Amino acid sequence: MFQMPDSALHIIACDVGQGDAILIFTGSTQILVDGGPNNKVLSCLSKYMPFWDREIELVVLTHPEKDHYFGLIEVFRRYRVDNLLSNQTASGGQEYGVLEKEVGREGVTEITPDVGKTIRVGLMSLDILYPTVGFQSTKVNEYSIVTLLKYKEFEALLTGDINQAISDQLSMIGQIASVEYIKVPHHGSRDGLMENLLKAIDPKIAVISLGKNNSYGHPHEEILQMLNKYQVRILRTDETGDVEVVTDGERYWIKE
Amino acid sequence: MKKSKTWLVFISLVLVIIFRYFTTRPVYKDGDYIRITAAVLTEPIEYETSQYLKLSGLKVYLPLFPEISYGDKVIIEGVVNDNKLKSPKLISVRESKSFATQFRKNIISFYQRSFPEPYAGLTGGIVLGSKSGLTADFWQKVKIAGVAHVVVASGMNVTFVTSFLLNSLAVFLPRRKLIPFVILGIILYLSISGFDAPLVRAAIMGGLAFSAQETGRFVSAWRALVMSALVMLVLNPLWVSDIGFILSFVATGSILLFERKIREKLASVPKFLKEGLSTSLAAQIGVTPILFVTFGYFNILSPVINALVLWTIPYIMVFAALGGIMQSKLILYLSYPFLWWFSFVVTLFSS
Repeated sequence: MFQMPDSALHIIACDVGQGDAILIFTGSTQILVDGGPNNKVLSCLSKYMPFWDREIELVVLTHPEKDHYFGLIEVFRRYRVDNLLSNQTASGGQEYGVLEKEVGREGVTEITPDVGKTIRVGLMSLDILYPTVGFQSTKVNEYSIVTLLKYKEFEALLTGDINQAISDQLSMIGQIASVEYIKVPHHGSRDGLMENLLKAIDPKIAVISLGKNNSYGHPHEEILQMLNKYQVRILRTDETGDVEVVTDGERYWIKE
Repeated sequence: MKKSKTWLVFISLVLVIIFRYFTTRPVYKDGDYIRITAAVLTEPIEYETSQYLKLSGLKVYLPLFPEISYGDKVIIEGVVNDNKLKSPKLISVRESKSFATQFRKNIISFYQRSFPEPYAGLTGGIVLGSKSGLTADFWQKVKIAGVAHVVVASGMNVTFVTSFLLNSLAVFLPRRKLIPFVILGIILYLSISGFDAPLVRAAIMGGLAFSAQETGRFVSAWRALVMSALVMLVLNPLWVSDIGFILSFVATGSILLFERKIREKLASVPKFLKEGLSTSLAAQIGVTPILFVTFGYFNILSPVINALVLWTIPYIMVFAALGGIMQSKLILYLSYPFLWWFSFVVTLFSS
């Protein structure tokens, strides 16, 4: 009835169907990366946040695509969001206009994704790795904000919906030599993750956020094979629901 | 009333209903392209990718945005097809600025900003009968547990509001003078909650009971039940096929028939559980066959689950209503232990 937060870091890939919504917290300090394609993110927040905590310290919108932002509309209506990290790119969908209106109403501090910037939230920090300054494209996925989450010795790479070219580009950054956790880009689509990146960062856990029997055929077989080849443990929201990884900053474990 | 006079009233009401039924029937037929201009009188239901509303007897499915709320005026065009409006186009939606709908929105949004789910949706459902706030997941559980009637608009809400107003106003006013205020309060409650059939039923029956007290005439509960059904069908003949209307009357009828006998048999049950148990057992007798035929499910444990949760409702209604009206989180939080228990029981019995 009154759950008390512990002191570990929790990363929860919320089961929101075909889309992304990742809740990261220590104690009562939260970061939410994307909101998923529906309002299921609310159940996830309710399950993992104490009932009196109505404040989310940072929301990251990796890129304005419906399967990443839709759930954020209700999140902004119901929670006090202190900071928003997002790209100022135009997007399709009248729903995005609704989200912008909600953000504007609440007096949220907006942060621009400048590569090299580090955002500190409590004991957690987020290094912004992408998009490069001045980047231009017609594809909204290619604007995905990529961040490296750090908590003591533990590191997680959050990749949005990046494509192969960006995946390759990231593999050449020395900054991410070895991470424990990778959010597999673009719901396990074959156009996302590249072997180069896997080799470079050597992750132990790969989390794929996607819906059961989705119309895109995600996750693609090539990606699963690639992860198996490097003996990365694969965790999928379509198979196990919410995927929760907990770490004290050194050791980490998967909560069943 | 003399017996012959009663029959005269009864027969003339039935005749008026038949006349109304045939004169208010829609004039369109399948394949017609029509434009509906109407106020939304029941809260639209939100699904994952669409919202559902019923207008002029037609089912309409629209995208989630622009959002439509209870009370809004809408203009929608589309093709009639088997009680549905195919390829509907929302021409315009004008937000209702009335006190009642704004007040309702404020209260529900306050719950949503103060509580996580499922508690926010549960509170809105119990206090205002707002079903749209419930998460799909929790709504499923509530149906399996057989307590859906508690979280949608039901006659019980009106009964609680009535007895709360009666008891609290009795401190300041003699009983005879407070009746108009109670009636005003009920009308206000209905305009905030929406004029759903079960609420209207309870309000009319309550009104009949009051007027019986005023005039000192004895009105049997059965007569009040039949009278309110007839009056409602005069007002809106379409209610005859409304599942909420049917369930509300069948449940009340079965409570009148069986509740007392069942209560007498429950001598060993603790008092605070007894009323909930005897009432829901009695209602169940009439309602279960209808639920089974229409929705294809029923829960044999439902009366037990009802008894376990029904005692929390007055506390939730009082604390959450006061908290909502005063926009005070502190008062609202007093309802949390009861909400927690409610959802704990429902989750336990629906898994």
